[in-house]
Amino acid sequence: MKRRHFVGSIPFLFATPELFGQAIGNIQQIPGFFTPPQLAALRHLSDIVVPAIGGAPGALEAGAPEFLDFLVSQSPTPTKNLYRTGLDTLNARASAKYGKAFAAISPEQADELLAPLRDAWTYEEPRDPFAQFLRHAKADVLTATLNSREWLAATKRSGNGAYWLPPE
Amino acid sequence: MAAPTHDVLIIGSGASGGMTARILTAKGIKCLMLDAGPPTDYEHDRVTRRVCDLPYRGFGQPGRFPHVTQADEFNANVWADEKENPYSYPPADPYYWVRVRRIGGRTLMWGRASWRLSDYEFKAKDHDGFGDNWPISYADLAPFYDRVEPIFHVSGRKEGFAQLPDGVFIEDTSIDSQSMKRFLAAAKTRGVPTTKPRRATGALASSLNLLLPDALATGNLTLVPNAIVRRLTVDKSTGLVNGADFVDRHSHQELHASARIVVVGAGCLESTRLLLNSGIANSSGVLGHYLFDQFYVKNTIQAIVPEARDGKGGEGMMGGAGYIPRFRNLDTKEKDFIRGYSVDFGSGGTPNPKYFPLYGEALQKALVSHQNTGFNATTMGSVLPRFENHVSIDPVVKDAWGIPALRIQARYTDNEFNMARDAMNTLAELCHDAGFELLEKHDRMVPPGESIHELGTCRMGDDPKTSVLNKWNQSHDVKNLFVMDGSSFVVGGSQNPTLTILALSMRASEYMAEQMRTGSL
Repeated sequence: MKRRHFVGSIPFLFATPELFGQAIGNIQQIPGFFTPPQLAALRHLSDIVVPAIGGAPGALEAGAPEFLDFLVSQSPTPTKNLYRTGLDTLNARASAKYGKAFAAISPEQADELLAPLRDAWTYEEPRDPFAQFLRHAKADVLTATLNSREWLAATKRSGNGAYWLPPE
Repeated sequence: MAAPTHDVLIIGSGASGGMTARILTAKGIKCLMLDAGPPTDYEHDRVTRRVCDLPYRGFGQPGRFPHVTQADEFNANVWADEKENPYSYPPADPYYWVRVRRIGGRTLMWGRASWRLSDYEFKAKDHDGFGDNWPISYADLAPFYDRVEPIFHVSGRKEGFAQLPDGVFIEDTSIDSQSMKRFLAAAKTRGVPTTKPRRATGALASSLNLLLPDALATGNLTLVPNAIVRRLTVDKSTGLVNGADFVDRHSHQELHASARIVVVGAGCLESTRLLLNSGIANSSGVLGHYLFDQFYVKNTIQAIVPEARDGKGGEGMMGGAGYIPRFRNLDTKEKDFIRGYSVDFGSGGTPNPKYFPLYGEALQKALVSHQNTGFNATTMGSVLPRFENHVSIDPVVKDAWGIPALRIQARYTDNEFNMARDAMNTLAELCHDAGFELLEKHDRMVPPGESIHELGTCRMGDDPKTSVLNKWNQSHDVKNLFVMDGSSFVVGGSQNPTLTILALSMRASEYMAEQMRTGSL
């Protein structure tokens, strides 16, 4: 399959019903919620979940990790804790197994740590907080990538929707 | 007190308020309508935006709508703000109360599914012995269904089901795709009935477009937006309602509207909240009780049609939607639940990436391979009206205008849980028989309220000791007070309720107009 056809045929996802919220104007995205080791782990995880394929934008090109740094910073405490603890766990497990931070291990090494992502999806959330984190991170990285300007441009999709303006 | 400025005060502009205004104003009756929300204009209130240009890339502002799973970043400004409009529930029993505060109410956002109830609902107690019957039968409401369906341009297919009466439809002549034919055949083999969806056609089929314009055109309707009703007022000498105190949403100015008759159609729980805050219409003690809805098991099954993989879903293989009407406990009796459930099902689309235990390039290849292979079904089940499921006024919580908020107590029981399990297993069997591959099945219902089909709490009945309203949606206690919306339901079934709300309000409005004409009101 040629790259352009492959990219163009990836199903378009945005504003899924499971994701809620609203727009407020002129939000400034100031990175810095995650610590540098956490952000580095998130960047590596994002690259593994949605890699650039054949030159098409992946999560890194779409700025997904930096966007999630902003989004999580605005989120309720449970979401903040889920991400912080999950990223710390990634680093801790990588360090214990490979003697390196998660960001420094290879994708093949990362596969072992990401085993919960290969479990069949169930309606019930996993009991293990780390598996919960991976499930949410996968969904969030995907959405942040596919709803990015870079992705829409590459797939020649408009990303248009009917936006309700705030009441007067 | 000055003479009433209007014949009828209508509170709420959604399905019931809009229909009431349409009927009454056509008969020359002067109506004043108060609605808590701002005016709505489809042309000017909606603009085209790219998801990548939204501040949260479609995720929406985190935490803004913890109980509105229907909200996304595009439609977020339609839903009632939960901070301005709080409510409470016991921590162990979350209730998702989903509201719209704009002219047109929740008809701005409804799914437009338009099903009639039958005597399996109106006379449910006669059938299985539980609870109470409605004080009306299907025959009483059928002529009004006949008139409502053309207004909302309901499409569907006539089937002759006793449990799902036919209506005045725009005939659905669409051809079933191959995958749909396989599912329909599997259902038929197992004795499970199916039909086409029945829906109001047109994306803008709402009170705003189909009811209010006719009422306004008569010159007999005065519509006041941003009017948040605090309480109904009562003439102490007669015990009759004589109007409403309300507050302007922006200025917080306290105002009063007067009328000879008051119609409350603020949307089920808001209507009951208003009556409770007004301290009226509750000699029975059941105001606020018998809260129910339809339970939803969203995506009860997610399957794929294997032959559609790798781009082979074209050429009539995929596409289309259908409905399974209630089929349990009609002529037979289930062991572990009474009443029944319905199912919406559809063919086509790509399963959500969450269903694939993959990531990276493997996930992207799987999504490409499974494009337009999906088949899924959602269950809507009948919830038994129980006295203990109820709303009351929270002693502490108030909204942004100082109006006491509701406390909602609702929980499902084994009857609903057992029904959901039966639906899951039945749908899995049908998918298997149809040759579909099941990605996931489950029977976990969404929290009570999330279906946005809350019903009851101001139910009708023949006995003033056990009901709030009579069979004309008229208060037993206060003769010039009518409650027109879903709060008047006695039993709900598994059908979406809006069509019945519209028919009930049409019927009650015509009764009211006749009573006014003869001087009885």
